[in-house]
Amino acid sequence: MRLKKIKFINFGQLSNLTFNLPSPELNVFFGENEAGKSTTVAFIKQVMFGFYLRSNSSPFFEDYKPLAHVSPMGGSLFFEDEHGSEFELERLWAKGDKTKRGILTVKKDGQVVPESLFYDQLQKIDGNFYADSFIFNQEMLGQVASLSQADLLERIYYLGAADSGKLLALRDDFAKEAGQLFKKTGKKPQVNQLLKKVSAKREAVAEAEDEYQDYESLEAELTAKQTSLKQVQEQLAAEQKEQSQLANLQKSFQSYHKLQELEAEVKPLKFTSSNYQEAQSLQAQGKNLQANLANLEKQAASLASAEDLTAEKQLLQKRPELLQWQSEYQADLQKEKQLKNEEQQLLTLNPDLAAGLKLSQADLQTLASDYRALPEKAGVTAPTKSNNNLFLLIGAVIAVVGLILLFTSGITGLILLIAGVAVAGYGFYQNKNQAQVVQEAQKAQKQVEQQYQSFQKKYGLDPASLSVDNLINQVSQYRMKQQALEANNEQLTQIETKCGQLAAKLEEALNEPLKADFNSLLAAMTELDDRISRSQQVAERKASLAFNLKQGQQELKELGLKLKAVLAKDQVKDMTEYDQRYQGSLAQAKLQAQVASLQYNLHDDLAQLKQVDPASLKEKLAQVASKIATEQEKVNQLQQEAAQVQVKLTNLADSSNVFAAKQDLANTQTRLMQASQEYLANLLASKWIGRALDLASNERFPKMLKAAKEYLQLLTGGRYVDLELDKKLTVTRFDGKKREVKYLSRGTAEQLYFALKLAFVEQIKDQINLPILIDDSFVNFDDQRVGYIKQLLQKISANNQVLIFTAQRNLVDEIGIEPMFFEKGTPNA
Amino acid sequence: MKFIHFADAHLDSPFRGLSFLPSKAFNQIYNAANQSLKRIVDLALSEQVDLVLIAGDTFDSNHPSPHSQLLFAQEIKRLTDAQIQVVMIFGNHDHMKRSELLVTPSPYFKLLGPDEKVEQVTFTTKTGFTYDVVGFSYLNNHITSDKLPEFPEKGANYTFGMMHAQEKTSTNSQNVYAPFTVQEMQELNYDYFALGHIHARRTLSTEPLIVYPGNIQGRHINELGPKGCYLGEVNEASRETKIDFYATSPIIWQSVQLELTAGLSKADLQAKILASLTAEQTTYFSLQLLGARFLTEEETDLITDSDFWQNLSLQLAADSQLVDVRFKEQEQLQLNDHDQAAFNQAADEIFAPEEFKQIIKDWAKKDELTAQAADQPEFLQAVKELAQVKLAAKLKGIDDETQEN
Repeated sequence: MRLKKIKFINFGQLSNLTFNLPSPELNVFFGENEAGKSTTVAFIKQVMFGFYLRSNSSPFFEDYKPLAHVSPMGGSLFFEDEHGSEFELERLWAKGDKTKRGILTVKKDGQVVPESLFYDQLQKIDGNFYADSFIFNQEMLGQVASLSQADLLERIYYLGAADSGKLLALRDDFAKEAGQLFKKTGKKPQVNQLLKKVSAKREAVAEAEDEYQDYESLEAELTAKQTSLKQVQEQLAAEQKEQSQLANLQKSFQSYHKLQELEAEVKPLKFTSSNYQEAQSLQAQGKNLQANLANLEKQAASLASAEDLTAEKQLLQKRPELLQWQSEYQADLQKEKQLKNEEQQLLTLNPDLAAGLKLSQADLQTLASDYRALPEKAGVTAPTKSNNNLFLLIGAVIAVVGLILLFTSGITGLILLIAGVAVAGYGFYQNKNQAQVVQEAQKAQKQVEQQYQSFQKKYGLDPASLSVDNLINQVSQYRMKQQALEANNEQLTQIETKCGQLAAKLEEALNEPLKADFNSLLAAMTELDDRISRSQQVAERKASLAFNLKQGQQELKELGLKLKAVLAKDQVKDMTEYDQRYQGSLAQAKLQAQVASLQYNLHDDLAQLKQVDPASLKEKLAQVASKIATEQEKVNQLQQEAAQVQVKLTNLADSSNVFAAKQDLANTQTRLMQASQEYLANLLASKWIGRALDLASNERFPKMLKAAKEYLQLLTGGRYVDLELDKKLTVTRFDGKKREVKYLSRGTAEQLYFALKLAFVEQIKDQINLPILIDDSFVNFDDQRVGYIKQLLQKISANNQVLIFTAQRNLVDEIGIEPMFFEKGTPNA
Repeated sequence: MKFIHFADAHLDSPFRGLSFLPSKAFNQIYNAANQSLKRIVDLALSEQVDLVLIAGDTFDSNHPSPHSQLLFAQEIKRLTDAQIQVVMIFGNHDHMKRSELLVTPSPYFKLLGPDEKVEQVTFTTKTGFTYDVVGFSYLNNHITSDKLPEFPEKGANYTFGMMHAQEKTSTNSQNVYAPFTVQEMQELNYDYFALGHIHARRTLSTEPLIVYPGNIQGRHINELGPKGCYLGEVNEASRETKIDFYATSPIIWQSVQLELTAGLSKADLQAKILASLTAEQTTYFSLQLLGARFLTEEETDLITDSDFWQNLSLQLAADSQLVDVRFKEQEQLQLNDHDQAAFNQAADEIFAPEEFKQIIKDWAKKDELTAQAADQPEFLQAVKELAQVKLAAKLKGIDDETQEN
């Protein structure tokens, strides 16, 4: 691919400038510094591979000042391929374009065609490959100069690969990163640290896994502890039993001591309970008897002494007489009343009596005579009309009945009718007779009446009604009754006198005022009688008491004797002493009961107690107690230890240590493997790049070495004649001495690098044939070397088109080609 | 009859692949396997099974913690108290002596074949069904010989085989867990072969049944999905056996892939990750991010920070956790053809197992863990992927330099 024309529209400080390249082999551009040489190199590269519009600095030659603010920027390159076709690559960038690579238009023979039509012929290399391989400029050499010898070697070594510089850097970055992650003998890198951690954690797991052994041994330990605990506890129990026995013995010893004291107090005592009871009974009887006697005496004393009641008794004998009097008196009173009644009766029965009584006996005689002188008065008696009328009525009735019967029974009725008329006729006759009699009587009666009235005037007595004989008789009777009444009154007075006498006597006997009537007298008599009978009772009672007393005293005497006999039996003086003896006997009984109880309680130990010594017992107890304390301490200790083991066991049973340690190990292993992968990926990536570079360059290397040897010879003016690659790159000097690249001078190294790179470009010329751009790279070359350069350029331009950009006049002169200039409007072709 | 078959309880076992442990997760993890075991026992009791087969690696090591021992003993007691026959073997992890086991002796508990000797026992269910159980326990962590020839010929009874073992492989160094072939096991023709050791649930054969029940609780990102036990039911007449899986693990592991196809903001990234982590029960997520090249360096830093995972986990359902984030780069390196070829060849060379081992040998010999990892192809692959991601990220920088702004 030959470059025929370079056409700037705007690029850097260049605008509207066109170079027609005269030679398909070697072309020279001449210009001072800043004339546009580097810009042109950049232009060629960037039109082919894209603008590089970064604001930050770029590597190598592309580090030019920002583009002028013109638009559009860019331009065209015109190539001719081996088949004679012309390709125009136009790359333009205008403000506002999205891509900063510029917009590329490819035309083949004036026709727009796909880019690939051109780039396929370049094996799809990129701008970096082109820059690395085809561009030789000061920056590049400067970069060679700034590299260490080793790096230089690498660069030379890997020249065969495109992008080898960057790939080398990348390879080194990976290697460096890998080196930071792991070192064979390091300690600090991450992987090394993790390795160490993993092994530590592994140990931790192993340790944690001992938990089970720990668990088992702890369990065994616990069992052992529990066994010995049981033993000690048994021993302790035995000792405690002994202690309790000894303590009991000690306690018994006190009881034993008491027993001894009590036994000393026991003594015989003459006491018979039955006797004592008998004595008590006797005494009680005596006491009762005495009380009775005292009572009796008291009663006797309270009774009044006997009094003389003869007079009263005589007086009392008058009671029948008094009763006689009373009855007489009553009878007399009755008689009096009767007499008076009879008198009144007489008076009442005969109203004429009162008048009669006013007359003396003589007067009466007169009266009797007068009265006999008086005519008799006739009595007119009215006939009884009723009988006559009755006859009338009956007759009528019979007649009616007869009439009725006449019609019925004939004869009977007639009989009856006749009888009835007969009867009625009789009644009518009778009534007529009686009325004549009455009229005659009434005339006689009027004369008598006059005589009677004169009598009544004289005596005040109605002679009509007066019976003189009767009157005289009755006056006589009356006068007799008056005499009887007087005799009765006399008799009453006598009785009252006798009663008064008796009352006086009773008043004296009873010593109280007394009325003389019969009731009072009789009541006084009764009282008197009571008094007498009371007096008699007292006397009887007194006698009885006296008897009883006498008897009781006799009994008491006997009781006293009996008691004495009883007391004598137990040889006691009196009851007081006997009571004391009784109390004593009670105390002894109690004492004996205590003794018996103690003896019973101590029964088992009694024999031992009789022999034991309190002091040694105490000592023994102290010994046992101390033993117990020791055992107890042991028990506590063992219990505590067992508890501790138990806690450990429980902790182990609940422990997540094993899992935690394993998980921790697993996590650390994961981290290790992750870091390791990171490390290995870096390591392998580094190796990979290295190996790829090897592969990419190695096949070309031998041929490249051959060409490079030639070029180096030319470049060094024959000072170095050979190049060898055997693991390391060595150069052979004209004198046959071999130098490792790293021992070459910088200048020589640069020449070697130059030679190798040219050789590489030559090597790939069949696949990629692009112009080689040499930009003032020979600034350090002296004249002699410039001569060699000419030979070199002629040699390489046979394969690739070469464009030389230089400010060195001597080089231009040496090459002997008309150069192109950067002045505007300069005609150059 | 009914029976339960489980294995690989790995009590005391940690969760692997966690570079950090949120404090709330500790107890969650600590109790996970225990809880799973309890649930299995609950199931045995509620189903009134006749037999529980425990096919090894009940404990994570032969020095189990007293806590796990006691817990296990307690659970076994629940079974034996209910007169459920328990037959247990030790595996390569819990190769112990019977005397070291805290399980209370009971006629219903049988440790089969101690001293690595194949033992046959005969039991009868409450309903009078008689069956044999044949198997052995580990006494050491490795058994290199095939034990199947020591198993007796099947008798008249229904026969359970029990073994903690791994299928024979072509790599001799791996044949250390009583290596066997499915064929010879099938030839024994036991009615049911209860295996343990492989943590993934697998049925090696259906006639006769040869079954790995998997472990009872996933413990890292390679033990995905629900874990638990098999409940089997034997038709006593036909001897046909039917098994059903019961998930009992309280935590499950899940791997989630998230593909990025373009750059996105941190907030969007977080939302996208959250949306991809859905859980119905406690789930531990491992996130694989494809298209990591779309992440900015800052985002990469954020997303690889476990603090970020924990913060994110706070928003997850059912106490779930994001515990791992990995990047994966599918894209080829963007290089020119020539260099691409060189890089490919270089990769082939340096990631060849022997070369890889050679390169990492200084690291590998540092620790048993690193040595072990160095032998694992998965590890090599992981390193390769990571190197690829790293390289891609860096080459992108070279590639796209001019496009960054």
